[in-house]
Amino acid sequence: MSDQALRTPFSERAGAALRDTSLQQALTLATTKFIGLRKEAFATYPQGERARDQARAIKEATLQRLDHYLNMLADNVERLGGHVHWATTGEEACETILRICRECRVKTVVKSKSMATEEIELNEALEHAGVTPIETDLGEYIIQLAREKPSHIIAPAIHKTRGQVADLFSRVLKGQFPADPEVLTAVARKELRQKFLQADMGITGANFAVADTGTIVLVTNEGNGRMVTSLPRIHVAVMGIDKVIPSMTDLMFFLGILARSATGQKISVYTTLVRGPRQPGELEGPDEFHLILMDNGRARQIASELREALYCLRCGACLNVCPVYRQIGGHAYGYTYPGPIGILLTAMLKGDRAVKDLAHASSLCGACQEVCPVRIDIPRMLIELRQRLDRERIAPLAERVLFKTFAQVLTTPALFRLAATLGRLAQRPFVRGGRLQNLPLVFARWTKGRDLPPVAARTFSERWRELR
Amino acid sequence: MATRAEFLGRIRAEVRRAPGLFPATPAPRPERPAEAAQAVRRQMTDRWPGALERFQEEFALVSGVFHRVGTMEDVPSVIRDIARQKDARGVTSWDPGQLGIDLRPSLEAEGLSLVAAPVHGDNDARARYREAAAAAQIGVTGADFALAETGTLILMSGPGRPRTTSLLPETHVAIFGKSRLLETLEQVGVILEALHAEPESARRGAVVNFITGPSRTADIELTLTRGVHGPKEVHAIFVDSL
Repeated sequence: MSDQALRTPFSERAGAALRDTSLQQALTLATTKFIGLRKEAFATYPQGERARDQARAIKEATLQRLDHYLNMLADNVERLGGHVHWATTGEEACETILRICRECRVKTVVKSKSMATEEIELNEALEHAGVTPIETDLGEYIIQLAREKPSHIIAPAIHKTRGQVADLFSRVLKGQFPADPEVLTAVARKELRQKFLQADMGITGANFAVADTGTIVLVTNEGNGRMVTSLPRIHVAVMGIDKVIPSMTDLMFFLGILARSATGQKISVYTTLVRGPRQPGELEGPDEFHLILMDNGRARQIASELREALYCLRCGACLNVCPVYRQIGGHAYGYTYPGPIGILLTAMLKGDRAVKDLAHASSLCGACQEVCPVRIDIPRMLIELRQRLDRERIAPLAERVLFKTFAQVLTTPALFRLAATLGRLAQRPFVRGGRLQNLPLVFARWTKGRDLPPVAARTFSERWRELR
Repeated sequence: MATRAEFLGRIRAEVRRAPGLFPATPAPRPERPAEAAQAVRRQMTDRWPGALERFQEEFALVSGVFHRVGTMEDVPSVIRDIARQKDARGVTSWDPGQLGIDLRPSLEAEGLSLVAAPVHGDNDARARYREAAAAAQIGVTGADFALAETGTLILMSGPGRPRTTSLLPETHVAIFGKSRLLETLEQVGVILEALHAEPESARRGAVVNFITGPSRTADIELTLTRGVHGPKEVHAIFVDSL
């Protein structure tokens, strides 16, 4: 998302998304389908619940000794002939890659889908330095041609209809292509095959990194991850420090639940385990392998309220079930990671100020936690994030005063009774269809976007007194 | 840029500050991986027929095409039939030693051309093989493991077993026998633990690929489309005598 787009307030971005009929159509179609596929996949996987508990425990256990496992991972990667780079910030990660590009005279880069490189806006940095990055995941390729950003963690072009993709391909690739996914996929295959064979460098993220063996794990369906790690002479993997896991035994638990949560597959088509550059005697594979271990705001959350967000596998399941995401899609959030988990990750990576409004873009219904493969308690963290915004005085004054007063009223019985009586009188002009709408003064902003239930004709405590 | 010590020092400080959300340990690993792997293999000597049945079912669900033949001598005719169906002329394969069969005489007799991967090679050999693999319509490999619960073929790269044989051609054919069958991901974990516990071997490549059916995408309106970058078809040939 450009800075320009971020200058419009969240409520306006969300409003625009709600009025976009083709976006609404695409969102409903995709999220509904994803929900069904996931449900079916877990229904036929009785050991799934235990695997989710185990996976959650592995993530927590890894965080408890994160320095140890990162050190072990680095030792093993270096033993296999790879280079390890330690990037505290996203800028440092970009600079490191640009330096490798300069040293190795890299002109073109093929990339497989990676949220970590989206997060650090690597493509912009490469282009700026005169290196051509080519996204090769079909969804990423589409949005790169459209010069947009991904709107879903695993289905980046989910917001586009087939007609829009056909128009885009016809315009950019100079042809006449029908709105047929089969044809459009074949067009992309042909375009990208040549790029794979010619590129100097392949850049990937990592779904997991196994500390014990120095293995980077890439999970894809298209096979582009395999191309990118097999054909160019240099492979660079960029990963957040939260992606490390201890052992191969651990990895198997994640493989059992990742694809089921994301797309409803039992396992993705390709799971690629890569250890370092081409090994002795091997014909193929890169001469050089670089692993960039990136912090970019993660480490400081280890001891914070947002710790659990570091368990995230980036499967996208919480997006599909979120009543807010389903209405507004990924772009309206305005940052790399959308949806419920995206709000927490944005706070982590961009600071609390960035989520001043987003922290409230949740009904706290709990659907996200229910589908999360590692059971991340997203609603709890959203509430804590709201409290933190209040503590840090990032939330607007009116909001802070209002909630403080509200809390005072709720915890003082006499005040509560008085407020109920007064409220019943004061609300009269604003009750329409059993809901409070269009309140005046400081309440106006609240009811602009949502209705409130009115104070009941008889409150619970009044009825309770009568019953006694 | 931070040095490793600085970077890890900062993380250590954060880790020490945090009590942890709940008591947790990683998954229990086999204490003696080699013995655990042996136990898995022993289990499978009795259980392979059930695993094969499950593999067939799951493989079909991911659009894999399954064949079963008696001996290695029967394999070329299966490949010939696939080639006829695809109207294919060019075949590439792993090194015959790795594959367990020299396909050349029988395929050439059928008018098909075969480029087998060299066991070793320099930059020129790599470029030549890449060109051949990119031009071939069929790529023939072995499979180190066949995982029943997901219909997955597991291939390890190494000398004579390039990564692209199963990637660049439009059709991938993998040959395996009963000793390769595994039932669960958990067993795969045990086998991989054992493999990594062994002393480093020059025979070991950098990559292990889990392949579950043909390449696919659903990035346009979640419409399933096959063969976006990798093979459009995957065949598994089970050989009874192996």
